[in-house]
Amino acid sequence: MDKYLDTRFERVEKALATFIDSIAKYNPSEKLAEDLVAADRELAAGLKELERHQNNHARILQLRQETASLDQQTKDIIGGLWNMRKEVKSTPATQYPATGPKYQFTTHELLNYAKRISRTTLPPAHLLYNSEPSESQQAGGQGGQPMEIDSAAPTPMPGGGGGGTATAAGTPAASAAPTPAASGPSGPGPVTTTTAPFSQPPPPPSANQTALPEDFKPHINLLTGYQFHPWPTEDKVRMGGMAAYQSLVSRAVDPKGYDPEEEERRKKEEEEARKEAEERAIREREEEERRMREERERMARERERARREEAERSGSISGPAAGAPAAAASSAGGGGRSQFTFLDGMDDDDDDDED
Amino acid sequence: MASDPMSVNSSAREPPAPPGSGADEPKYGGYTRFELELEFVQALGNPLYLNHLASRKLLSNPAFIAYLDYLQYWSRPPYLKYITYPGPTLKNLELLQQEKFRQDIISPDLVERLRLEGMKAGIDWHRESFPSTA
Repeated sequence: MDKYLDTRFERVEKALATFIDSIAKYNPSEKLAEDLVAADRELAAGLKELERHQNNHARILQLRQETASLDQQTKDIIGGLWNMRKEVKSTPATQYPATGPKYQFTTHELLNYAKRISRTTLPPAHLLYNSEPSESQQAGGQGGQPMEIDSAAPTPMPGGGGGGTATAAGTPAASAAPTPAASGPSGPGPVTTTTAPFSQPPPPPSANQTALPEDFKPHINLLTGYQFHPWPTEDKVRMGGMAAYQSLVSRAVDPKGYDPEEEERRKKEEEEARKEAEERAIREREEEERRMREERERMARERERARREEAERSGSISGPAAGAPAAAASSAGGGGRSQFTFLDGMDDDDDDDED
Repeated sequence: MASDPMSVNSSAREPPAPPGSGADEPKYGGYTRFELELEFVQALGNPLYLNHLASRKLLSNPAFIAYLDYLQYWSRPPYLKYITYPGPTLKNLELLQQEKFRQDIISPDLVERLRLEGMKAGIDWHRESFPSTA
């Protein structure tokens, strides 16, 4: 670039020198002047070129800087990645026992299990969230009683000293009735004392509701003394199958193959079978008795009828004489038949029994 | 059951079949072996029960130790999911495999500490949002 400009400068200088020479020799030449102008124009173009060159140079420098910074950035990133990789590789991952077998399970199974064990692994809410507040509650309760007296004390203040003592006495007694009774006579009767008894009763009930005496609390709280055991308690162990087993062993029963339910069922079945047999026997006996009774009734009826017929026949004069023996014979025959019928019935019964 | 006289040979058995696999399980006093062993392995979660076993000299009985080893099948599926007191049960089952623990559990101090810490842990692990309890 320098050379490029230098030639132009030289040309301008040369043209200028020859032009000056020509002027000094008083022999100016138009051609020389034009040469100079041309040289000057060339120089101007060269300077412009130089400017462009400089700009380009600056731009190159800038780009170089940019590449350098980008290179640096890339290097940083790669370095960062490298470090990251090293860290990731050196991070101790959860060590699953490589030798232990892995077991498949589904979310459903897991949730089922969680639901099932929640009864035995999750302490009751009052233990979880209240054990500390209960201490602060106790502190608050102890602090609450003085507060209650404090709040009650200012109320009778305008009433007078008598009213104040009455309330103080009435509050521990936990009954509102004596309070006006005690303050009534003590108050001499100004308006302030009459308002005081009316304003006194409302606070004690509300105070009594919130502040139960400390020693009452354990009695009304069902969960007092409740302890959460994350294992089966002695009661449960004593009520379980092992205890049943032990009791069988101590009763000298071989527990193997012994099922109390089965035994119970068998006993019940035997009992039922026995009962049923008894009932059947009773029913049969009743049936038999009934049949015998019916038979006897039937016989009685027939005998009655025969007697009546005979009476009718003997009572009627119009009846033929020959009819009487026939009737008697028939009645006798009927009686005999009935007797035989009875015997037949007995025979039948016997047959039934044999069946 | 724990006080049964046992011989060493009686412990080498297969774990009982889990329920639902077959209905024809022999019953012992009305309970299947599965039920009894499940009950027993969970009772081991109770430090007082362990102390009771130790006081009956069972924890030094080789047959009983073999039985404790056998009971480890409860720490694997498909038996694992039947344990409703998983924490103390599995922890104590693991501890019971150690000779030293079996000897030490006779100490009432250790039992009491196990009891108190177990009860505290049973509550504390549910309320990590209450750091002041630690």
